Amino acid sequence: MEPASQKVGARGVNLPLKPFNAALKETTDLALFVRTSSETISDWNRQRIVDALLRETNIAQEVAEKISREVEEQIISSKISLVTAPLIRELVDAKLIEYGLEEARKKHTRLGVPLYDVDQLILHPNRENANVPHGPEATNLTLAERIKKEYALLNVFSQEIGDAHMRGDIHLHDLGFIDRPYCSGQSLEYIKKFGLNLPNSLSMAKPAKHPEVLLAHMVKFAAALQSHFAGAIGWDAVNLFFAPYLRGLSDREIHQLAQMLIYEFSQQAVARGGQAIFTDINLYWEVPKHFEKVMAIGPGGEFTGKTYAEYAPEAQRFVWALFDVYREGDAVGRPFFFPKPLVHITEKFFQTPGHLDFLAHICEVAAEKGNTYFVFDRGSTAKVSECCRLSFKLEEADLEDAQYPWRMRYCALQNVTLNLPRLAYQSAGSDDQLFNKIAQVFNIAVQAHLQKKAFLERLLALGADGPLALLTMNKDGLPYLRLGRATYLIGMVGLNEMVQIHLGKQLHESDEALKFGLKVIAYMKLLADKMSRQYNMRFVLEQTPAESTAYRFAKLDLRDFSPRAGYIVKGDISRGEIYYSNSTYLNVGAPLNPIERVRKEGLFHPLIEAGALTHLWLGEARPSKDSLANFIIKVFRNSQNDQIAFSPEFTACPDCARTSRGLQAKCPYCGSANVEGITRITGYFTKISSWNKGKLGELKDRFRNQNYFLEKDGGPAKDNRPWPFREETSRTFV
Amino acid sequence: MVYSIKGFLETSFSDWPGKVTAVLFLPYCNFRCLYCHNYELILHPEKFPDFPLSEIIKKISLNRGWIDGVCLTGGEPTIHRWLPALLRFLKEKLGPDMLIKLDTNGSAPQVLEKLIQEKLVDYVAMDLKAPLTVERYEEVVGVSLGEEGLGNIKKSIATLLSQEVDHEFRTTIVPALLQEKEIYEMARTIKGAQRYTLQNFNPRQTLAASLRDFKPLDEPTLQRLQKKVTEIIKANNCPDKSPIKPEEISLNKLFISYAK
Amino acid sequence: MTLFVKEGCAKCEYVKKSVDLAKLGVKVEVLSPDNPDSLAHLAWHELVKVAETQMPILVLDDSSSLTGAIRIKNYLLALSQN
Repeated sequence: MEPASQKVGARGVNLPLKPFNAALKETTDLALFVRTSSETISDWNRQRIVDALLRETNIAQEVAEKISREVEEQIISSKISLVTAPLIRELVDAKLIEYGLEEARKKHTRLGVPLYDVDQLILHPNRENANVPHGPEATNLTLAERIKKEYALLNVFSQEIGDAHMRGDIHLHDLGFIDRPYCSGQSLEYIKKFGLNLPNSLSMAKPAKHPEVLLAHMVKFAAALQSHFAGAIGWDAVNLFFAPYLRGLSDREIHQLAQMLIYEFSQQAVARGGQAIFTDINLYWEVPKHFEKVMAIGPGGEFTGKTYAEYAPEAQRFVWALFDVYREGDAVGRPFFFPKPLVHITEKFFQTPGHLDFLAHICEVAAEKGNTYFVFDRGSTAKVSECCRLSFKLEEADLEDAQYPWRMRYCALQNVTLNLPRLAYQSAGSDDQLFNKIAQVFNIAVQAHLQKKAFLERLLALGADGPLALLTMNKDGLPYLRLGRATYLIGMVGLNEMVQIHLGKQLHESDEALKFGLKVIAYMKLLADKMSRQYNMRFVLEQTPAESTAYRFAKLDLRDFSPRAGYIVKGDISRGEIYYSNSTYLNVGAPLNPIERVRKEGLFHPLIEAGALTHLWLGEARPSKDSLANFIIKVFRNSQNDQIAFSPEFTACPDCARTSRGLQAKCPYCGSANVEGITRITGYFTKISSWNKGKLGELKDRFRNQNYFLEKDGGPAKDNRPWPFREETSRTFV
Repeated sequence: MVYSIKGFLETSFSDWPGKVTAVLFLPYCNFRCLYCHNYELILHPEKFPDFPLSEIIKKISLNRGWIDGVCLTGGEPTIHRWLPALLRFLKEKLGPDMLIKLDTNGSAPQVLEKLIQEKLVDYVAMDLKAPLTVERYEEVVGVSLGEEGLGNIKKSIATLLSQEVDHEFRTTIVPALLQEKEIYEMARTIKGAQRYTLQNFNPRQTLAASLRDFKPLDEPTLQRLQKKVTEIIKANNCPDKSPIKPEEISLNKLFISYAK
Repeated sequence: MTLFVKEGCAKCEYVKKSVDLAKLGVKVEVLSPDNPDSLAHLAWHELVKVAETQMPILVLDDSSSLTGAIRIKNYLLALSQN
């Protein structure tokens, strides 16, 4: 159709269209070369534009041809010296817009990151996720996440959902991990029984015969899992399932194994950009009722002929040793960030001999290092917790599975969080409007879940040859990822601020406010139940960890709903360290004593099926472990609180290798100013220097249980007053 | 009766091992320990308004079933003539199940005895400031005691060691003020005590400005000393008192009212 | 006093029929998929978990609670006789 060659332009730019066309041999003095995306330099070929358009979009051949010709003319007449594939694509996109071909443009668009941004990224740390240290892997992660994020918003979620996310009505978590489910809980029994035989791995390992090998398998499997999930990897009853391998081991050997486990999981810097694997280990002092009569699997993946009830002593020795290691901390005395130990307190716990001593032991760790998560399984609830607050209530069907523990695999596919304060700004005090809006945005979240589910199903359908081969592997008659058991999480941010806007009082300021907050969450729970029935999918409420979500929502609302938002957002506006209260939490700066906080926050917990958590910040105070144990028993008996963790604060000094209590500017031992502050960011320990601005704002507001004097006007003293009064000094309780 | 309560900590896990307590802070003190970090409370308590006792009672009652006891501290509680009346009032309003702990420097043995006899205290924590010589004690507590004053301290110690009431002794260690062997000496003078707790001072908050540049003991040393003194006082093989008594922890939820 | 009942719960109906609730000033809260107020009220009294396995529930004025249809009935009948 086109002439074989064409000499064009004043500069004599030649466009050899078919390089091996004999007629062109003598023409080239300045050929136009294109830097393609596959790192080659090739000759200009207009046909490539047409091919791409036909392959990637639905436009007609003639239109594609027309566009390609117009772009070619444009390039020639502009006398560009460096033509790159991205540039050509941009020009084609512009043409598509010109012709009103919006859909086609979306399909044809290039995803990516501006040069400037990449430069900044490589040089400066990314604060969104406190877990990711700055480094080349981290930069890779960020860049890949950005592209996948764009992909998700264009290609996985509908425009309506994408816009809702961008506006800040909802937050779609882990968009950069669109091709993965959210988080998971599983059992060691799987690798005990089947060994380690991962798709695409170079070698296959038979079931472990020794505990160190089992640990190695666990770590490898965890790493493989982590690269297929966006969030936490949880393990059920770890100490119990290790127990059959520990028979006959000396105390020293068990201690060593405990050390190995904790150091392995606390230092793995591989997955997701160089972060440690986000690991949760569920631990029990007793043998959980549903495992008592289950046949134990031991060395070599064989049944030992005994039930798990008989391995109680080994399980107890192991969990005790794990807490010995947590107690010591790392080489400098800092607490271990991972793995997170979740100890289940149940009715049976209180009937099991030695539980008081064990409780004192784990409380000592809580007092000294803060690691312990206390999970309360009241009544006959059994739970597998997969991360700080996510848990699966075991239903009847699940408890049947307990006979074959390797089947106990759970996951959440996605997490969508609702911006609650915004709904209140928009409702101007009207209850009807508010609840209507909640229903509307809830529905959007449900739609988002459906879309993600559809996308993942496509990936999973590709089976062993697809990108999620690991999750489709089938060793026991079921794919590893049991989609039928998956949950779909709906989280929330800023209930406290929502009530504050709607009623003028925060949750802790009046009973009416608290009751209204309960009504909102009750309403959401009923919606979740309704949707679950309607779509035959398990929608559950969860407390969003909200690291950056609370910050993002606050920022967007400050932009879009000022001046009102200016009075509502928490933190320091002038420094940009703003945030909304996490999920259903009471204001972290409220002068509530721990009892009140536990009770009041606990009222919400039974409505939040996926699990909930109350943090008690201790500041510098070093509590008596026995007093903490006393308190834990009362929380179990006297409240509905699902889970608590004590978060002390530390200052670690790398110069003199010592750790002291409280957040201090200088090391009290050696005076060095080169100290790191450590405390808990929404459920896992990390260094303060890696926090984003929102979390820094929250840290400054946190009410630590130290304030006990009145201001002159009779109100409770604020935390930042110059403070001559008795702070807790270092005491050793024996 | 006007009781002067300058501070109220609703919940403490640090003041009575094994118990969850509320803490009341009383003003003034007859000593001037160099390391005192509540010095504003003892020097200028007028800066702080009184906490209404009715509020305190109300708050503690709200948390019935969670709070095991009330700790009286400060300052030095025993210098107030109204202390017994206050304790009687607390016992009356909060019920006999509410335990009372007293922190004291032991300078008023008659008050201490009276409180014990009238069963107004369930636990006493007495400070042991220095070896029991007039010279050393005066050095640490910053006021003159004389033989009489020291004699009072010794009487209080004897009262506690007679086991009429649960107790512990405490010493705040400033390395510049107390030597290791003196600490062991002090432990020996309270042999038979139920508990002896050593604690670090807080250099950021001290009465004597000069102490602010001093360093506290590091953890391992403190632990080591603590272990040793615990052995010393137990040399008479006194039975170990377990701090948690599960039966004391309220189990029946029906009796806990969530006040509206 | 408040009596929490659920739709389609025979024991709840039994109690409602056996006692003149209105006369005793007992408020009836019906737990249903469309009633967030009663669920919130239940949560306020820390009874969500209890309600999963035991219905009906009677909450007294001092916020303590009774379960068991017969026990509730007897309690209320005793009250109405005074």
